[in-house]
Amino acid sequence: MEREQAGPPSFNRRSLLQAMAASLALAAANGRRAEADERALPYVNAPEYVVPGKPKWYATSVRFAGYLQPVLGKSIAGRPVKLEGNDQHPATGGATDLFMQAALLGLYDPDRSQVPLHLGQPATWAAFDTDVFRRTAEIDRTQGQGFRLLTGAVSSPTLLRQIGDMQKRWPGMRWHVTEPINEDERLEATGRVFGRPLQMLPDFSAPAAIVSLDDDFLGPGPRQAMQARAWSKRQPRIFMAEPTPSATGTRAGERLIVPSARVQMLAQAIALGVGVTGVAAADLTAPEKKWVDDAVGALGAGNGLVTLGALYDPALHALVLLINERLGSFGKALRFTDPILAAPPDGKDSLAVLVDDMKAGRVTTLLILEAEPLQATPAALDFRTALEKVAFSVHGGLYADATANACHWHLPLQHELESWTDGRAPDGTAAIVQPLIRPFLNVRSSHVVLDRWLGGTASDHDLVQASWHTGWQEALLAGFVADSAPAAVTPTVRDRTVPLPQVPSSDGLVVEVRPDATQWDGRYVHNSWLQETPKPLIQATWGNVILVSPALARERRMENGDELSLRFGNRELLGAAWIMPGQEPHTLTIGVPDSFGFLDSWRQPGVRLEKTGKTRVIASTQPMQDMGEFDYVRTVESGEEAAAHPKDDVSFYPPRKWDSPSWGMSIDLDRCIGCNACSVACMAENNVPVVGAELVAHGRQMHWLRIDHYTHGEANAPRHHFQPVPCMQCEQAPCEMGCPVNAAVHSPDGLNLQVYNRCIGTRTCSAYCPYKVRRFNWFEYTGQDPDSIRAMRNPDVTVRSRGVMEKCTYCIQRISGARIAAKIAGRPIQDGEVVTACQQACPTQAIVFGDITDPNSAVSKRKASPRNYSLLEEANTRPRTTYLARVRK
Amino acid sequence: MSDIAPSARDFRRVTDEIVDISLHYPDRRAWWMCFIPALLLLLSFIVSVTVLFWYGVGMWGNNIPMGWALAISNYIFFLGIGHAGTLISALLLLLAQHWRNSLNRFAEAMTLFAVICGSLYPLVHLGRPWLFYWMAPYPNTMTVWPQFKSPLTWDFFAVLTYLIVSILFWYIGIVPDLASARDRATRRRYQVFFGLFALGWRGSARHWARWRQSYRLTAAIAVPLVVSVHSEISMLLAAGPINGWNSTVFPPYFVAGAAFSGFAVVSMIAVVLRHALGLRDLVTPRHLDLLAKLTLLCGLMTAYGYWAETFDTLYGSDPQELETMRDRLVGVYAWSYWGAVFCNFVPLQLLWWYRVRINPVLLFLISLSCVLGMWMERYMLLVTTLYRDWLVSSWQRYHPSIWDWSLFAGVLGVFFTLFLLFVRFLPLISAFEIKEAMFEEKERGEGTGHA
Amino acid sequence: MPQIFTASADTRLRTAALLLAVVFVVSLLFTAGFMNSTYVTSVGWVVTQPVPFSHEHHVGGLGLDCRYCHASVEVSAQASLPATHVCMTCHSQIWTGAPVLAPVRASLADNKPLHWQRVARLPDYVYFNHSIHISRGIACVECHGRVDQMPLLARGKPFTMEFCLDCHRDPGPHLRPRDQVTRMDWTGWHQDPKVAHEQLKAFGIQPDKLTNCYICHR
Repeated sequence: MEREQAGPPSFNRRSLLQAMAASLALAAANGRRAEADERALPYVNAPEYVVPGKPKWYATSVRFAGYLQPVLGKSIAGRPVKLEGNDQHPATGGATDLFMQAALLGLYDPDRSQVPLHLGQPATWAAFDTDVFRRTAEIDRTQGQGFRLLTGAVSSPTLLRQIGDMQKRWPGMRWHVTEPINEDERLEATGRVFGRPLQMLPDFSAPAAIVSLDDDFLGPGPRQAMQARAWSKRQPRIFMAEPTPSATGTRAGERLIVPSARVQMLAQAIALGVGVTGVAAADLTAPEKKWVDDAVGALGAGNGLVTLGALYDPALHALVLLINERLGSFGKALRFTDPILAAPPDGKDSLAVLVDDMKAGRVTTLLILEAEPLQATPAALDFRTALEKVAFSVHGGLYADATANACHWHLPLQHELESWTDGRAPDGTAAIVQPLIRPFLNVRSSHVVLDRWLGGTASDHDLVQASWHTGWQEALLAGFVADSAPAAVTPTVRDRTVPLPQVPSSDGLVVEVRPDATQWDGRYVHNSWLQETPKPLIQATWGNVILVSPALARERRMENGDELSLRFGNRELLGAAWIMPGQEPHTLTIGVPDSFGFLDSWRQPGVRLEKTGKTRVIASTQPMQDMGEFDYVRTVESGEEAAAHPKDDVSFYPPRKWDSPSWGMSIDLDRCIGCNACSVACMAENNVPVVGAELVAHGRQMHWLRIDHYTHGEANAPRHHFQPVPCMQCEQAPCEMGCPVNAAVHSPDGLNLQVYNRCIGTRTCSAYCPYKVRRFNWFEYTGQDPDSIRAMRNPDVTVRSRGVMEKCTYCIQRISGARIAAKIAGRPIQDGEVVTACQQACPTQAIVFGDITDPNSAVSKRKASPRNYSLLEEANTRPRTTYLARVRK
Repeated sequence: MSDIAPSARDFRRVTDEIVDISLHYPDRRAWWMCFIPALLLLLSFIVSVTVLFWYGVGMWGNNIPMGWALAISNYIFFLGIGHAGTLISALLLLLAQHWRNSLNRFAEAMTLFAVICGSLYPLVHLGRPWLFYWMAPYPNTMTVWPQFKSPLTWDFFAVLTYLIVSILFWYIGIVPDLASARDRATRRRYQVFFGLFALGWRGSARHWARWRQSYRLTAAIAVPLVVSVHSEISMLLAAGPINGWNSTVFPPYFVAGAAFSGFAVVSMIAVVLRHALGLRDLVTPRHLDLLAKLTLLCGLMTAYGYWAETFDTLYGSDPQELETMRDRLVGVYAWSYWGAVFCNFVPLQLLWWYRVRINPVLLFLISLSCVLGMWMERYMLLVTTLYRDWLVSSWQRYHPSIWDWSLFAGVLGVFFTLFLLFVRFLPLISAFEIKEAMFEEKERGEGTGHA
Repeated sequence: MPQIFTASADTRLRTAALLLAVVFVVSLLFTAGFMNSTYVTSVGWVVTQPVPFSHEHHVGGLGLDCRYCHASVEVSAQASLPATHVCMTCHSQIWTGAPVLAPVRASLADNKPLHWQRVARLPDYVYFNHSIHISRGIACVECHGRVDQMPLLARGKPFTMEFCLDCHRDPGPHLRPRDQVTRMDWTGWHQDPKVAHEQLKAFGIQPDKLTNCYICHR
């Protein structure tokens, strides 16, 4: 896959329209005859390096919470159609997460704001420019007094340079930052202990044992891809203490369920255990004590790491730092660099200061770029009333949401995939973001907005290039600036005193606020791929739920879907109850998006809970999650892998001889963290339609690859399992026997084909499928899609129409591509040449795909493991997709 | 045997009595009071199908895993009902059971209409119904044939064959009576109508010879179909590797159940017709008695099927199979299982008593309960099996939507409309065969007299 | 009672029945014929184009190679249509004023693509890849017909599934040396089945796999 560098004129509005024409043709429902009068629009001047029908790959990045997520963008006929991980990037090495995969839809989202709004009315950029010009005169006069800039977290050198320029010109102006989910506590702690704020960069591949105090380092977030990949290299033993189940918790060997208030006690106990001085003794319950002893024992073996949830008190973080110092993990399992995200002047109080000034009328001009303070701020701040006091407020963003409507001006901004910008990956490596396509809406990049504000006329390309004097070409081709990560510093501890806060009383119900697994802080509310992605541990889509423990549910007689009312002070939050096995009995968990306007902190005791008596429909893709006595997910004791289930291939028929290549897949259930990156990647790659909450609740979701979540054992402290379920590609496929019209047939290389244009929709295949991986187009899901969505579609995959059955194809379009390429080159297909979308997306390499007739292929080696087993062996379908049993460490 | 064919009456009177029903229908008001509701149901059929074709199968309650549901269970139900007609007329004809003569005509009509209703379902339940003909093997520019391993392909053949044979058998049988209707008709449009369809029947010896030949031939073809068709339909379920379906007992189990529900329906129709049209001396208590006995017999065979299935499951003790059975007995759809067991077999036991068998009202009610029971059984077989199959993760509830029900009502409308038209305009009892029976009775009677 | 049907009624009835049967059979035959007719396959039906481009003149007359205009045929799934620029390489020199070429000049002038009507078009669920066919020695003419004899372009072969499968089932006779694939008038060893078989091996073609659904459908 050769990388390209974006040449400005190559893809432009016209080529997109061309592409749309092509994709309209492609979008025609299958089964219809081609219209004879199909139009074809060739280029006028063909760009030399664009071959019609051949994809181009560009290395770039998408943004998430201020960080850059490195991606390779696949572009066909000038349209980006798929994002994949950048396998050469030092931090992620090709790993992705679901937000990265879903960024593509963000570009084409028909909901995007398309034109500037003045007082809610459509306006022109020219009008805005003149308005700003008038404004800047005023600002010049006051030396910028009363002019404020509010952004999300920033890692972009160019943006920082521009802010610097502004401050140079207007010394009085101030810059503020709002990033609801942040690492301020950690930075403050390092500041306290080392005398200056430092970025903690734990390396999860290094330690032999990890003790996580309610730190979901494998869970969603800007670091997920990076950290999950690192962890998966050696999968060190995890000790987890948490009040509510998390991705990390499901991977933990020893999982302790405690109220968050107890975490401090555990930290103290561990500190004492490893010999940190000056720590008060902790009184622990028996199970806590056992857990701590085991943890300390494992840490004592050397090369250990202790992490603490980002939301905890800085003092506690300081203690954990001392523990790690004591463990000697500094520089090894725990590295430090200077902060990667630029720190705003007022640090963590940045937003609070701004709001105070606004309320005090000290703010006359407010420019909000790529932030949604109205939706995403603690209720106590009451941003709205503050905003009303501002004389001239401008909001720039992708969507015209609440903040946009509350401001005088709203500016539609460019998506990363259509603009030039730069920034830093979570490990600090800098990267230049190049557009895969020229804007097809009337939008500007935030760099240009700032530049115009300063009276400039430069393009975003020039503005960004100005910050990168050397290595521009290399950076664009590689997708990152080599060795640009800030150097690691080995800090010396200045302050060893640990003034621990009073342990908050843990009686009564405590509400824990956690980042939403598919919405993060609510910024993806428009992204229907993410909305329809089930939250891994809940399997609920479209909207969040309130997690309650089975014990509490029994005590208060609650069922899934009962509407609950949470009251805190005079504020109320309504939500559907979801009984979560493994939840701490007196802990309720809500998502960050729900917490805004309700709570002011991430942890709130003394919340009143009652049932409203109503019930809500939860659009769940998996109503039942208790595995019961079945062995869908098998577990073997560590060291006894060989004792995994034997394979019995007894059959009356002679075994069939498969010639090479013959495709198969192996999924390691120990590696799967249920992050859903594969599932979203599959939607993007295979044009999987979104059906909406109502139909999902009806059992009609279309995901080709679903991640089943099972709990096993007693409900208070169960084991959690994730099981990705694509089509099993059975060698003895019941679906094929059932289909009356030969729409489900077998290929010589062992693929279980579904020929959409032959399917008449008897649904026999699905009725006969033991795994129920087949999806049916109950209605016309694709026909009415807007043009932008059609332009996004992968032209190598048929768009399915109403009444047709569809399912996972092992990304047959990629197999065919590789097969044709190999044939033309006159060579066999190499191992690793065909990489399915899910395999590519997986941050932990849980999925391996390849030729099972070649004993040396990666997949054959995986399948040779004694942990290898096939789902529902008793059905004797001989699946090509097999699993590696989990190992109890 | 004198209670089978009323030998006291002379031949002409028999014909008059039967043919007059179509020529001068006795109670038109009653007929209209049945026919108008039937038309309304038919309307519901038209509306439901239009909506279905316009928006797609999504209008129904189906989902994954419930890809099949009410449509298929009704399909099995209706085709099942059909079988009794063929059994009564074809099999008993070959066995020369004369008592059938009073029942076979409307039993066959019932068969015909039930098969029509049944075969509507697989067509409308397709995702892309306009391509249904791909099920048929025909030379095409795609050079693709149907997949002959699939039970659905054979369903297609089975139902088509059954439909054609039923039509032929029923029509051949009715021709002589159409002729007598033609000859008795006074109004011209009746004369033309009956005349056309009597195909110029003159009752010559040659006609009779040919007629007997073809009639018996068709009967010989029809009888094996009774067994094969519903065995084949049972494969629809039994061929899949789904617990609760994948069982060898299904074919006989289905055939028995089919005949069971069929005889129940025939009994109901017989009771109603003899009451409504005053045919008490043509459809005698003896007939009711025989029908009831057949119903009882088939009911017991079906009961055996239930027992066998349960026994196999327990004996095989496969955890998945056991789970499915447990779910049938106590799951959310247990009502359909116990409903089926109760309605099918409990009232049925009353038929051990002769007095009950010949009591029209009781017989009607018992038969009604059997029909309901068999419907619930088909529903249970589909739903309880699919909504919870192998993987816990794919378990989903199923609720038929309003459009499921409206289509069901509509299909009933199709049935009643057709049947009422038949009752109104065609000789609904085989007059000439009754006369033949009477004649043979007389012959035998005299023979014995002389001896 | 008087008979309402005369003696001839039977005969009439029989004739009617016979007619019905005949009509049925005929309609079947007609449908079959219709589906194979050029009306459905649109073989030989000229499509009106913005410019009356003559393959006969450019290919037959001037002897341009297909790849001159359809440049990506060897490397991509799509053969691609020539950019206006390509037309103008010659027509900026010759026929510069020709009225028929006005749309081409206009396209170049105001930088708007020409709106050609596609002639060789497959349904959207069929994934045909030009490069692999060319590289296996399948000549353009096999599917597109003798374009060098078409003053105005029309579909040369019926693009039915049958047509594709015929060749996929028995590719041998359709093969050529790679350097001959763009020749329109080439006749060579491909008549000889034995050589054709040799070629199959040489090109590494396995006909048994070529008829699988996923060769064309994804």
